[in-house]
Amino acid sequence: MAIRSSDNGQTRRNFLKLAGTMSAGAVVSRHTGEIAQALQQATDGPVEVAWLQGQSCSGCTISLLQGQYPTLEETLSEFRMELTFHPTLMAEHGEAAIESMSKSPDILVLEGSVPTDIPSAATVAEKPVYDWVTELAPEAEYVIGVGNCAAFGGWPAAENKNRLHDVGKNVTGAKGLQFEQRSQPGVLGPDFEAGSGLPVVNLGGCPPHPDYILLTIATVLNGHIPELDRYNRPKPFYEPLVHDNCKWRGYFDRGEFADKPGEEGCLYQVGCAGPYTHCDDQTRLWNDGTSVCLNVGAPCIGCMEPGFWDRFQPLDKSVERQNIFGVDVETAGLAAVGAGVVGIGAHAARKVTGYGKSEQDGNGGQSEDADAESTASDAGQQSDAETGDDKPV
Amino acid sequence: MVEVKIDPTTRIEGHHGMELEVEDGQIAEARSTMKMFRGAEIITVGRSPRDAAQLTGKVCGVCFICHRIGSSRATEDAAINAGAFDGIPEHAKILRDAVEGIFFLWNHAIHLFALVGPDYSDAVADTGFERLDPLEGDGYQGALENQRKLMQALAEFGGRAPHPLAFVPGGVATNPDVSTVQTVKSRVREVSNWLGPTEAVPDVLANVQNGEFDPQLGEGLHDVVSILVAAAREGAADLGSGPNRYYSNGLFREPESDERIFKRGVYRDGSVELMTKDEIVAAISEDTEYSYYTDESGGKPTEAQPPEPDPNKEGAYSWGKAPRFDGETMEVGPLARLTISGYDPFNLRADLGGGSDESNTLNRLIARAQEALIVRDRVLDLLDAFDPSEPLMADFPDDYTGKGVGLWEPSRGTLSHYVDVKDGEIERYQIITPTLWNIGPRDGEDNPSIIEGAIVGDEVADIENPINVMRTIRSFDPCLACSVHVDSPEGSYETELKPASPGGMTDVGDD
Repeated sequence: MAIRSSDNGQTRRNFLKLAGTMSAGAVVSRHTGEIAQALQQATDGPVEVAWLQGQSCSGCTISLLQGQYPTLEETLSEFRMELTFHPTLMAEHGEAAIESMSKSPDILVLEGSVPTDIPSAATVAEKPVYDWVTELAPEAEYVIGVGNCAAFGGWPAAENKNRLHDVGKNVTGAKGLQFEQRSQPGVLGPDFEAGSGLPVVNLGGCPPHPDYILLTIATVLNGHIPELDRYNRPKPFYEPLVHDNCKWRGYFDRGEFADKPGEEGCLYQVGCAGPYTHCDDQTRLWNDGTSVCLNVGAPCIGCMEPGFWDRFQPLDKSVERQNIFGVDVETAGLAAVGAGVVGIGAHAARKVTGYGKSEQDGNGGQSEDADAESTASDAGQQSDAETGDDKPV
Repeated sequence: MVEVKIDPTTRIEGHHGMELEVEDGQIAEARSTMKMFRGAEIITVGRSPRDAAQLTGKVCGVCFICHRIGSSRATEDAAINAGAFDGIPEHAKILRDAVEGIFFLWNHAIHLFALVGPDYSDAVADTGFERLDPLEGDGYQGALENQRKLMQALAEFGGRAPHPLAFVPGGVATNPDVSTVQTVKSRVREVSNWLGPTEAVPDVLANVQNGEFDPQLGEGLHDVVSILVAAAREGAADLGSGPNRYYSNGLFREPESDERIFKRGVYRDGSVELMTKDEIVAAISEDTEYSYYTDESGGKPTEAQPPEPDPNKEGAYSWGKAPRFDGETMEVGPLARLTISGYDPFNLRADLGGGSDESNTLNRLIARAQEALIVRDRVLDLLDAFDPSEPLMADFPDDYTGKGVGLWEPSRGTLSHYVDVKDGEIERYQIITPTLWNIGPRDGEDNPSIIEGAIVGDEVADIENPINVMRTIRSFDPCLACSVHVDSPEGSYETELKPASPGGMTDVGDD
């Protein structure tokens, strides 16, 4: 593909940036025609997409099918996206399916993690997904890791806690494209850049919101470099803190906690990871503005964050009993003093002052232990997760 | 003898291939190869029972509700057996059934229109039937639009779809009110109207056969019936014959009762045998002779540890295990459910498919369509019976020791989760999925799986494009993601029928 130079007289909208300032699907619904036009001008021909699945559950694909502004059908027809390969949706099978796959796609999408210790644990046409990815990624203009597994390893990378069998901590060696949980490298290495010069753009989430997928594609094809956070997630989607926009936030501030999920009240004490989880789903809402996890009373499990299984488990316990700090409650609690928050206990206070903090330390490449220590010691400070070091790694 | 490999077998969920040996234009042997492994059961061990539903719920993003419910039922069963839990509230049970019903509608729509339907479309098979041309046909697009409405209905209760978080041990963690239920009902009714009235089936059948289209009788129904008619014309009734052995865990309990719309039991040797949970659990074992797991993996799912991967095992060809029922293969899914329950609305299977109880590629499609109509009515009944002001969550214990089994019946067929909990921590976990029953590998006695047997004997007109093989594979609605992570028994498989009654596993109310 050739991205045309920008002197075509058209204003190139940064749809991703707009997405950070508008609510629920408004960008796409308001700018559908414009996005389509931009994409057509941005390319000489159809945009060729190869959508591969590694160790995936297909949930990201199903999420994609739920996109409403626009729908997937509109994306493919009006936006001239050509899905040259998608195992779930394509007409062809076998050899013909492989032949139709673009070998130098404009956009390479991976859904699912890549098993590196047992490469045969995910194959397409008898070739390990690891080989497909390492061959296709350097040929692609953009590489997008759709979902927590492709971005960070997801649950296949979660810990084999009892060290069952002889397979180690990570059963199949499952990795994301450029990350394994919160650390680099993933499969492609920390220095990987696609043809566009961008690293793998990570769309965390189990699954990610369908808007995230489409708007990211629209933006990069329109010639904009998306602003990425330390985990290479587009900031407009992954900067807002769930906790800040939660329907139950008033309950939290008043110290009114639910005893079990589904009850009225803040879900902090039954395991909500909202204070540590970044996405804009609280305002964007899912399924055409229907709802979101917390709105029905289901605690956030942190699925937008790297390493979310082990970081936030046990998922039903309040965060100080979760693994997030890697230190015991007392140690962490020492840092939590003097917060001027009304109506909540010391642990909750620590959480308030510290929220977002774990992101600050989740520097790619650092161990989780280092992360935990600095989190604990910083927990009482005024913090802003998005400081200067919050750049693409 | 020609060897044919189809990889990837697309328009199914997950990584799958099919290896065929074709002799004189006929399939002499077939191997169904599942091509992905993640280790869900291994990862689940050592965690909190509550987290099992969260983790195993995400083994599949297509069947995203059933594993959460199946896992919840297993851990609830274990807690009940430990004397630490009294069961979930009545209206949580009704709600679980209702959402599973909505899920059936969603899944059947996706399967019929987007996965298997295109096999009979003009784009794929020059049938002149353009409405199901992938992504472009009006029928295909209508289904995409309607599946979104069903997902919106699911999100009203679950918060989002796919991967709603509200289905957990103890009940359903959601706080609907009367207006939530009304919204869900209206979404389901919109889809119901798209589908069309059940009683219109004979007229629509006549329409389709005469090449007419009457949207008043349901656009969806016309498309579904068009698939069935096209499949009949393409000879699907003579393809993919199974052994006429079926198994179902049963589903859709009548409120305040133990009766189910879809019965629990098996159909074999030409008759239905209704069964209890204990009888079913005692009959199930798994075999790993041809699986990439050690021979020590497998056996009784109530006893075996999660599977130990052995990727270089000689002779193995699948990451799936081979579940067997009293040592035999069993077909599961809509055709199994309707046969065991004695339903053949409008005698479609008897008239078009060579017999109500006959296992073949056409009847699998017909049964799925029939079931969509049955379930559509059932969902509305369940939503009528559901009172959102009633409790939906019971207190679920943290610390207990017990063994449990959760049987559930998702759209693709029988699902069972098995858990041992010790002092509030999972010691052992097993899952047996519908797709394993249908398209797993051979067992140690070289008995082919349902799909491997179904394909043998079918003709392959064009080995470059074995479309009838693909039609049969897709007729099972395979879903691989959740199937490949299950483990099982010794290399030497024995058809041992001794009903081991594992650790006091009693029926749990509706279980």
